Parts: sequence; structure tokens; C-alpha cells
Amino acid sequence: MRARWCLILLLTAGATGLAQPVSGPATAPLSPRNANYTLQAELDPATHTITGTGRISWRNISKAPTSELRFHLYWNAWRDDRSSFIRESRLGRPSYVARPAEDRGSIDLRTLALVGSDDLLAGAKFVAPDDGNTDDRTVLSVPLPKPVAPGETVEVMMTWTSHVPRTYSRTGVIGDYYFVAQWFPKLGVLEDAGWNCHQFHVNTEFFSDFGRYDVRLTVPASWVVGATGQDVPADLVTAADGAHKRVHFVQDDVHDFAWTTSPDFVEFTRAFEEPGLPKVAMRLLLQKEHANNPNQVDRHFGATASALRNYGRWYGPYPYGHITIVDPVTIFNGRAQGGGTGGMEYPTIFTAGTRLLTPANGEQPDSVTTHEAGHQFWYGIVATNEVEHAWMDEGFNTFSTARAIATDRSNDFATVERYFGGFVPWLFPDARWTREITGDRLDVYRPVARADLQSTPTWQYWPGSASAITYNKTALWLNTLERMLGWETTQKILQTHFARGAFGHPTPEQFFAIANEVSGTDLTWFFDAVHRSNAVFDYAVAQVVSTRTPTGTDNVVAIRRNGDGVFPIDVKVSFSDGSSVTEHWNGASTWTSFSYKRPARVTQVEVDPAHVLLLDVNMTNNSWTATPQTSGAIKRWTLRWVTWAEEVLLSYAFFS
Amino acid sequence: MPSSVKPPVKTPVLGAYLEGWRRVLRAPALAASLLVVTLATALPMGMALGQMIGEHLGSSTVAETVAWNWNAGWGAEFAAQAQGLGRTLTHEIIGFGGTMKTLSGILDNQPLNPTLAGAVGAYALLWLFLGGGILDRLARGRNVRAAGFFAACGGYFVRMLRLGVVMAATYWALFRYLHPFLFTRVFDHFTRNMTEERDGMWLRLGLYLLFALVLFVASLIFDFAKVRMVVEDRRSVLGALGASMRFLRRRPLRSFGLYLLNGLGFLMVLRLWLEAAPNAWMDITPAFFVTQIYLLVRIWLRLVFVASEVVFFQGELAHAGYTARPPHVWPNSASEEAIENITPRRS
Repeated sequence: MRARWCLILLLTAGATGLAQPVSGPATAPLSPRNANYTLQAELDPATHTITGTGRISWRNISKAPTSELRFHLYWNAWRDDRSSFIRESRLGRPSYVARPAEDRGSIDLRTLALVGSDDLLAGAKFVAPDDGNTDDRTVLSVPLPKPVAPGETVEVMMTWTSHVPRTYSRTGVIGDYYFVAQWFPKLGVLEDAGWNCHQFHVNTEFFSDFGRYDVRLTVPASWVVGATGQDVPADLVTAADGAHKRVHFVQDDVHDFAWTTSPDFVEFTRAFEEPGLPKVAMRLLLQKEHANNPNQVDRHFGATASALRNYGRWYGPYPYGHITIVDPVTIFNGRAQGGGTGGMEYPTIFTAGTRLLTPANGEQPDSVTTHEAGHQFWYGIVATNEVEHAWMDEGFNTFSTARAIATDRSNDFATVERYFGGFVPWLFPDARWTREITGDRLDVYRPVARADLQSTPTWQYWPGSASAITYNKTALWLNTLERMLGWETTQKILQTHFARGAFGHPTPEQFFAIANEVSGTDLTWFFDAVHRSNAVFDYAVAQVVSTRTPTGTDNVVAIRRNGDGVFPIDVKVSFSDGSSVTEHWNGASTWTSFSYKRPARVTQVEVDPAHVLLLDVNMTNNSWTATPQTSGAIKRWTLRWVTWAEEVLLSYAFFS
Repeated sequence: MPSSVKPPVKTPVLGAYLEGWRRVLRAPALAASLLVVTLATALPMGMALGQMIGEHLGSSTVAETVAWNWNAGWGAEFAAQAQGLGRTLTHEIIGFGGTMKTLSGILDNQPLNPTLAGAVGAYALLWLFLGGGILDRLARGRNVRAAGFFAACGGYFVRMLRLGVVMAATYWALFRYLHPFLFTRVFDHFTRNMTEERDGMWLRLGLYLLFALVLFVASLIFDFAKVRMVVEDRRSVLGALGASMRFLRRRPLRSFGLYLLNGLGFLMVLRLWLEAAPNAWMDITPAFFVTQIYLLVRIWLRLVFVASEVVFFQGELAHAGYTARPPHVWPNSASEEAIENITPRRS
């Protein structure tokens, strides 16, 4: 009872705080700061419930007035099996559908009112702008008593209750570990054409405006808390009975707020210092079972520093001065434990993902850590619309992660496979990490190359292949662009895009315009081919004929375009006298040929010898040689395979 | 050398194991032939795969790297475009990783590639056919020549086949029902709220041991049923199974000890293989021979396993000492030979 009173006192103090101007250190605005949230929430671990109160100060920065507000209530996606999220999961993520009812989560807005005005909730209704699903409760439309004109600000007070799910979409609870994201009623983005406030879809992430987040969280006193922003230690309040504490986090110029808490976190700190870049305080919250392994600590900090250093040099500096890396609970049995929270980005905080046994030369947790830290740039700072153009942050970031790894540790990593229920990792040193295969993941893109036009809004992608089109196709065509234009120009394009798009919501067309402008070339054909089309690229050496004549050798080299994707390519033809010639073909017709009347015969043909076109789904047929080593390759891998098959036979023969 | 039948005294486990080694050492052709049989089973599939590799590589310059080492880009492309057996050619077949993949696949009940599964079925049938001859040879402890060996194979095949049906049904039931019960229901139940991977790992290990124990018990029963069918010339499969269970029930510790001793040998070989398994770029000729030696040792150990069980059984029950000599019909059974050998001592 005493503890209850203490909590009431804490909440009262918080509620008082909500009525006051936003506290915390003020900094010069980097963003429009038009969506500012002052939130207070209490976590009840016994019931997995969050009770919150909040005040939103929202300014209309569009050119049109609005007579409504639209809120995301993301957690209602997991309220029942009728939401669009769960319906879509049936196609791409059936594991979400099969979850027991006790795993579900929800969010209920209890009160909503303009400051000093009447309740707004009475006229509110759920809307489904994307698919008309009347059972979907992830977008709430709230009519306003009078329209909000451009430049005008409204202040909204609200209270809500959320039931924390067992983890869906990298949000939720398992045991005492909470990772809490998209947990409060959040405004959509008002654009000139109206509200951009999509329902929560299984394929997509988030989109919201920049602002100041001032958040007080009440959790058990002994639990460690990590969150977006910086802790304000002076505001730490501990309940009289010592059972609970209230922590205070503040962050300007971000577009979301996520937090985590657990009694099992072990905290480490390290400074990122790099000449020419701002200093960043790195905070690592490691699960207890990983904390006694210094290698884990070094790898998490090292990979984060790799992103801060490389992205900082290539695109622009990380401006926040602090970053929190969260090591999530390892999900080793997703069927029972639910989804994981690993590998997810939020402003100034992200989750990585490691395992108890991690080979030193395996790419995890380094790769995921660099990737999520890199999202601070592509998502955090350049806040593109993840619901409509997820390729702009995920694809750019996949490209950048692979480039960062190639820059810092290109020879360090090899492929790891996991056996015996996934607990035992095994390193295959012969399968080395490469930027194209393991980083950009040509192998993931190749089987689904036709699945969707990349220019389709992401939430409409086929769920089973959305990630390949979003992450990998983009990384591959950016890498292709780098090989076409050179890194210097490509970097300048991305740097300009970063500089102009920072703390805003740049669109694809803005990026394409920057690419044209910076490169000084009209790249429309390129973006038509790789982005506005689902064409498949496959160029091949079709035939090589060398005929001896009395005067020399008549050589004919035929090149085919097997796919429907068109890309100008080079063809290098080598001759037996050591000479070679490089032809350029626009790649448009279905085939072309080159004829040479020379004293020497053709010994080798290479289509795209510099491997510029990384989207080519069949690289093997790109070359031809007069002296093929095929028999050697057959012998080697047939015999290797046979010995493996013998062992399989022998092992299963145990049962005979 | 004829099998020696001694009075019914407790047979030491180590003694049976060592005698098993001696008998296999005296039958080197057996292990070598089984290696050839294994290779012959795998080779046609390998040739089919080789054809796929050849068609994919064509006259590409990519073959230059593939001929000397694993090319991850080509490997991914080949696996993506290949059908059937071709999909199994991945980096996971290289070195000790291939062993890990296979053992993990069995314990995690992972489905095998259908073509490979068919080959495994045919190979298991072959072992059943050869099983009678192998047991007969090891029970006699002397050279029986090819004719004798294959006569025994044929003579015991029908009963081995009947036992094979029982074995297949039993293993199918264990993998179809017990495995999901342990690794889905039980594992899920206990890991639902687990937040430490270490706990999950120990639990999984415990379940592996439990499942392996059940498999071992089943295989022990089947092994001794086979031994009794051959050494005692039993025709009834159910009778042999009952006799096997009675035999094991009366000497559980020593039977299990013998099993453990054999299992230990297998683990030691795996440990050595971990060091010796060739990497991707090792020259193919030595790589192939090193692997064949490893496989030969695996076959050898399997034969030692069988031989030690035969010796253990012969030492324990001294069947020849208490049963009547059956009428002589060519080929005579190991049982008849044992009785024949003991007759002078008894008269």
C-alpha cells in the first residue's frame, strides 16, 4: 500500500511537470521541432502495463490547414488477429499469426483534449487509409474543433494505457527484459497533401516529425534504464520505500523515443574520439551472460565506432554526442520465446544482437551493430519515410555497412553457420566475407529479383521478399553506381543528400535530382532500370567462333542480353598474341556481336570485366575462355561432395 | 582362427572391446569392402552433381578459381540456380563443418535432400543385406571367403529385412513423435520465459542426451537381436528381440559400458578429424585420400562395435555350450560352427 502511495506521488509530480514548460538543456534547433512530446510513464512489471500521461505540442509545418489530428496507435496491431499487420503476417511471417493470445499487446487512449479545451476523444474514430480494414485500430483520426492553420501550434494532453506484448516487431517483453518502442500515441506527419499516417504493416517501420522528447519513466528501482536522449541525473527520484525510481531523459531534434529496462543489464561506457569528428559518449547495456566476455564489449564498441567514424567521414558528423547500444535478450527459440528485439534502430539508441558463443571471425555481432549504429545517419538524421520508401534508409544503410566493414575489416570475417539448435556456431574460413556477397547480399536478391518494383510503396511489397528488395537491391545498385561513377562522386552524392536531407524527410525524387546534379550526368535511365522497374539483368557470352583463314583468323564474339534489364556494358576480348580490346555496348538489343580479323585467335571474353553491374543475377556466364578449367573444378567439387555424401550415408547407417 | 567358446563367466567389457578390435583387424577386407560400397553408393550422385557443375560453369573463367578453392559468389549462384542434389553443394560440405552439419541434421531431425534421402535408404538396405554376412564373419573370427560371406548375407537377409521393418518403424516413431515431444513441446515449455541463452543451451544438451540415450537403447536392442539371430541362428525376429531385451536387462551396466566404450572411440576419431579435415584449397587428391582414411576408420569403428557386441554375447551366454547341434545344411551357420568347435571338449 505504501509503495502504491509513493507511485501516486511520483505520478502526481510528473503530471505537474507536464503542465510546465519543457525542461532540460536547450540547444540551437537542428530540426523544425514541430512535434514535441512531454511524456510520463510508469511500468508495472507484474501486469506488463504502461500507464502514461503526455502533452504534445504540435506545429503545422505544411502549407495546408488541417481539421484533424492523426495518431498512430501501433500496439493495436497485436491486439487481435484481425489487424492488417496480422493479416499480412499470414503471407510473410506466419510465426506472428500463431502466437498465443497472452502474447498480444495493445494501446488504449483514455483521454485526449486540447489544453484548456474539451475532450477530443468523443469524435475520434479509427481509420484505415491503406486497406479499408475496419477492424484495424492502428490509426486514430481525431477531429479538431477548429482547423490548425499553417504555422499554428496546438497543445494536446492525453492519458493512455498500453499492455506490453511479448515481443512483436522488436518491441515488447521477455522475462524482465523490456524493449519499449512505438509505445505512446504518436502523431503522423502532415504533408501538403494531407496526413501521412499509414496503418501498421508487417513490412514497414515508421515515419514521424522531429521534435523534443522530454520523458520521465518510472520503473523498479534496481533496474537499469536506457533510452533515447540523455539522462538527467539531477531529476532522478526514488520512491520512499526504495522500490521504484523515476528517471528523466531529454532529447532534441529526434523523431521518436524508445527505451529499455532490465535488472540484468551490465553497463559499460567508452568514448568515441576521432580527429575531425565530434566526440560521442558510447554507452553499452550488455546482458549479464555476455558481460564477462571482454571480447563482446570490444566488439560492440568497435563496431559502433566504425559506423560513427566511417559514416561521419563520408556523409556528415553524428550530432547528438551520445549513443546507447542495447544487447537484447537472445532469442534462441523464437517459436516459444516470441520475436527478438535485436537489430533495431531508434534515435540515439539501438539494439544489436549477439550470442553466447560467437567466433572471433564471424561477422556478428559486429555487422548488425555497425548497421544499427549506421541507422543513426540513414533514418535518425535523414528521416526518410520508412513506410513508403524503406529502401532509402535500409538500402542506403546496408550499402554503407558493407562499405564500412570492407574499409575496416575486409579480411577479418568468414561465414558462420549454426548447428545443434543454433547453439553451436561453426566458422567456415573458406567462405570469406565479401562486400558484394555477404555485405550487399546478391544471393538474397537473386531469387526474388522480380518480386516487386522497388518504386512501389514499401507497405505494398510482397511480404515474403520485401527485405531483399528494400535492403539488398538498393545496396547492390548503389554499389553499382559507385563502380560506375567512382567512390568520390558517389560519396559526394550521398554527402549532399545527407546534408540537404538532414533533420527532414527527403523524397526519392529529391535524391535522384541530387544524383543527377552532383554527378553532372542524367542518371534517369539508371534509376528507371534499377528502381522503377523489376527487370532482371543477365548479360552473357553467347558464342565465340574463331576460324582460321589464309590471311589470319576470323573471330566473332556474340554477347546476349538474357534478362529484360538494360544496362550499358563493356566487353573485353583477349587474343592469343597477348593483345586485348575493350568494346562498349549499350546493352539494349537482345544480342550483339563483335568481329575481328586478326592473326591471333580469341582466348578470353569478359562481359563487364570490372564487375560494375552487381545486379547481374548470373555472373558465371559473363565470361568465356578458350582454355577452361572446368574439368578441374568438376573434379575438385565432385570428389569433395562425394566424400561428404559418404559421411552422410555412414552417419545415417547407424540406424541400420 | 575358429571362435573359442568358453564356460559362462562374466565377460569383461574391455576384454570384449579388445577382442572386437582383434577380430576386425583380422578382417581388413571387410572394412575396405564396406568403404568401396559406401563410395560406390555416393559416386553416381557425385557424377550427376559433377554434370550440373560442368553445365553451370561451361567455359567460364570462373572455373579457374573454382578449380582451386571455394568461390563464395559462384557457390551462391550455383546453389540458387541448381535443382535437387545441386542445392546441397554449399560451403557447409567443407572440412569438419560437413560433419557438424550431418550430426546436427540427425539430432535436430532436419529433412535430408530427397535424392540423398533415397540414397540413404538404399544404403541402409545394403547394410541390412551385408549385416548377416558381417556378423557371421565376426562371430566365426576366421576367413570365410567371399562365397561364404555372401552365402551368409543371403541366408540371413530375409530375417534381417523383417528386423529392418521393425527397426524402421521404431526409429520413425522416435523421430516422428519423441523428437518433437522433446524438442518442441518440452523445449518450448521450458524456454518460453528463458532470458539466458546459457540455460537454453544446457537444456538442449540435456534433451540431446536423453534422446540419444533412447536411440542408444533402441540400437542396442536391435544390435543384440541381430547378434542372436546370427550367432544362435534364430529365425524369429520377435523372438530375437525378446531375447535381446532379456540379455540386456540382465547385464545393463556392462552392455551400456560396452556401448560407451565404442562411443568414446567414435568421439576420439571425431576429435582427430577436427584437426585433419581438409580445407577447401587443399589439393584434391590428398584431400580425397585423407577423407577416405577418416571414413575407413569410421567403418572400422562400426565393425569393432559389432564385433565387440558379438564377442560380449558369445562370452556371456556361451550358446554353443548348451544347445543341440542343428542338422548340417550348407552354408553352415556360425552357431553350428561354434557347437562343432566345442564338441570335442564336451565328449
